[in-house]
Amino acid sequence: MAKKIVVEVCTGTHCVLMGSMHMMDSIASLAEIREEMGSTTEIEVKAVPCLNLCKSGTRGPFVIVDGKTIPQAEADVVMAEIMSHCNDECSNCDC
Amino acid sequence: MSIRGLFTPITKIRRQVFEEIARFAYERDLKSDDFYYFYESPYRIIPGEVAKYRDSVFKERTIIRERIRLAMGLPLRPTTSYQNLTDGMKECASSKKQLELPLVTVIPFACEACKPDHFKVTNNCKKCLAHPCTSVCPVNAVSIGKDSAIIDSEKCIKCGRCREACPYGAIIRSGRPCAEACGAKAIESDELGRAKINQDKCVACGLCIVSCPFAAIADKSEILQLITAIRSGEKVYAIIAPSFVGQFGPLATPGKIISGIRELGMDYVMEVSYGADIGSIHEAEEFMEHVPDEKPFLGTSCCPAWASFAKATLPDYAYCIADTNTPMVATAVKIKEHDPNAKVVFIGPCIAKKIEATYEDVAPYVDYVITYEELMGIFSAKGVELTELEESEFDVEASADGRNYAVSGGVANAVINTVKNRDPQREVPVMKAETLAECRKMLLLAKAGKATGHLLEGMACSGGCVGGPGTLSAIPRASKDVKAFADKSNFKTADDNIYLNIKK
Repeated sequence: MAKKIVVEVCTGTHCVLMGSMHMMDSIASLAEIREEMGSTTEIEVKAVPCLNLCKSGTRGPFVIVDGKTIPQAEADVVMAEIMSHCNDECSNCDC
Repeated sequence: MSIRGLFTPITKIRRQVFEEIARFAYERDLKSDDFYYFYESPYRIIPGEVAKYRDSVFKERTIIRERIRLAMGLPLRPTTSYQNLTDGMKECASSKKQLELPLVTVIPFACEACKPDHFKVTNNCKKCLAHPCTSVCPVNAVSIGKDSAIIDSEKCIKCGRCREACPYGAIIRSGRPCAEACGAKAIESDELGRAKINQDKCVACGLCIVSCPFAAIADKSEILQLITAIRSGEKVYAIIAPSFVGQFGPLATPGKIISGIRELGMDYVMEVSYGADIGSIHEAEEFMEHVPDEKPFLGTSCCPAWASFAKATLPDYAYCIADTNTPMVATAVKIKEHDPNAKVVFIGPCIAKKIEATYEDVAPYVDYVITYEELMGIFSAKGVELTELEESEFDVEASADGRNYAVSGGVANAVINTVKNRDPQREVPVMKAETLAECRKMLLLAKAGKATGHLLEGMACSGGCVGGPGTLSAIPRASKDVKAFADKSNFKTADDNIYLNIKK
């Protein structure tokens, strides 16, 4: 059965200023690579309202990958995290 | 490839500077001349002591200091003599409009002095026996050196044949990202080989700013003056460009954006698409009356970078660029007719609009110009959480055609529709171009007589205004959002807009 990863991207004011719209575009671009890798894991990207995580002083953008919060998220870190989930799926098969 | 449209550390630093200034503008004591805050700013933006981007944190912070000065509306400091960081800040920390040219400048010591456009042999060259690079060169510029092929840049005519012939892909073309982005060919070099903008050619499209991978180019901003005006109790009207939809996040609907701007203390928010409706009618009438008899063609007037570029490129045909007020000016005029003491701020994707607002005939109507990126910095500094606000509406609506001005082709389409409303038989052949490089080609065709009877839509930015340097959203997403909002209008064309003839 195909696995699904839910990625929530905070699109509150501070996070959008710090690039969360581009973050969503980067995550969406993973769909093509995932296919090339033969992974069946589905990636669902959700824009969520302000998570109120920036109010403590930590900088955004905040991204939650399958329940794991990444502060000051940069596209490369987030994409690697998502891809590692896709690889989990692959390690069960022969590819 | 270009960094345009990606979120890089440069985008982040630029936005942090806007936020930093907005926070100061909101928090400072208006009566005080204390600017100590800005001595600390570089340490907030570049924390720690390990250089992240350049050779040292000291250089990184020094560049931040110059960016701060520019973003406050001040000129750069000289590099060869002493000047205090805060010199001039007292004068600029007021609501008085003071933007002085040049608007777009290179911060010389941030510039990497990239070599202008050239062909180069990389270390992938194997000095092969066949070396087809030499035999295909029409000017004998390629020779085989001790370790690899060598290109004599004096002789090279940049035809690219050697690059195509190399079996190892060892020859590349490389240049300056700023110059490649500049359709006006305004990027020159100083005596140290660093980029220097020829201000006579620059039309402030701003694309070099967002294309330089070393963040060496910046423009001036009016964030401080705008916020000071609001805090001093001036009545400030915001007029927001048609491309605003979706710029502040996927959940920040147009209604929430309007509420957010009001939250900042601006009394009234109006869509510039309303001014676009006024412009469509004027441009349609100008076209029907003068083309092709008095004017062989008519160029659209709404993009100020295109309009001034066209007039400079073909001075003999300057009269063929429509003398219609741009949507920004038409909207601002409407407001000032109603309330002459008001201050008007234009919020848009555009840097060239900052120059337009300094024109003698525009300055009385438009007090400040800020970009979406700058506005987002202001929202963040003030803690305005757009996703949590209630929806508001524009009091005065614009037509779908007016709202589509933001996307390439939208202006021409709006003018065609208004012409057809007047004379269904009248044909309006259209030529259009995006980016100034393409606009140049279109102008040359017009000069050669190939545009007679045409409407010429020129846009300095790729994709139209949605591709402007002051945007936050990617072009495809932004175009989609603009069209969806246009479809919600109750009026299809400018002529259908019932608000155009009502005195407010």
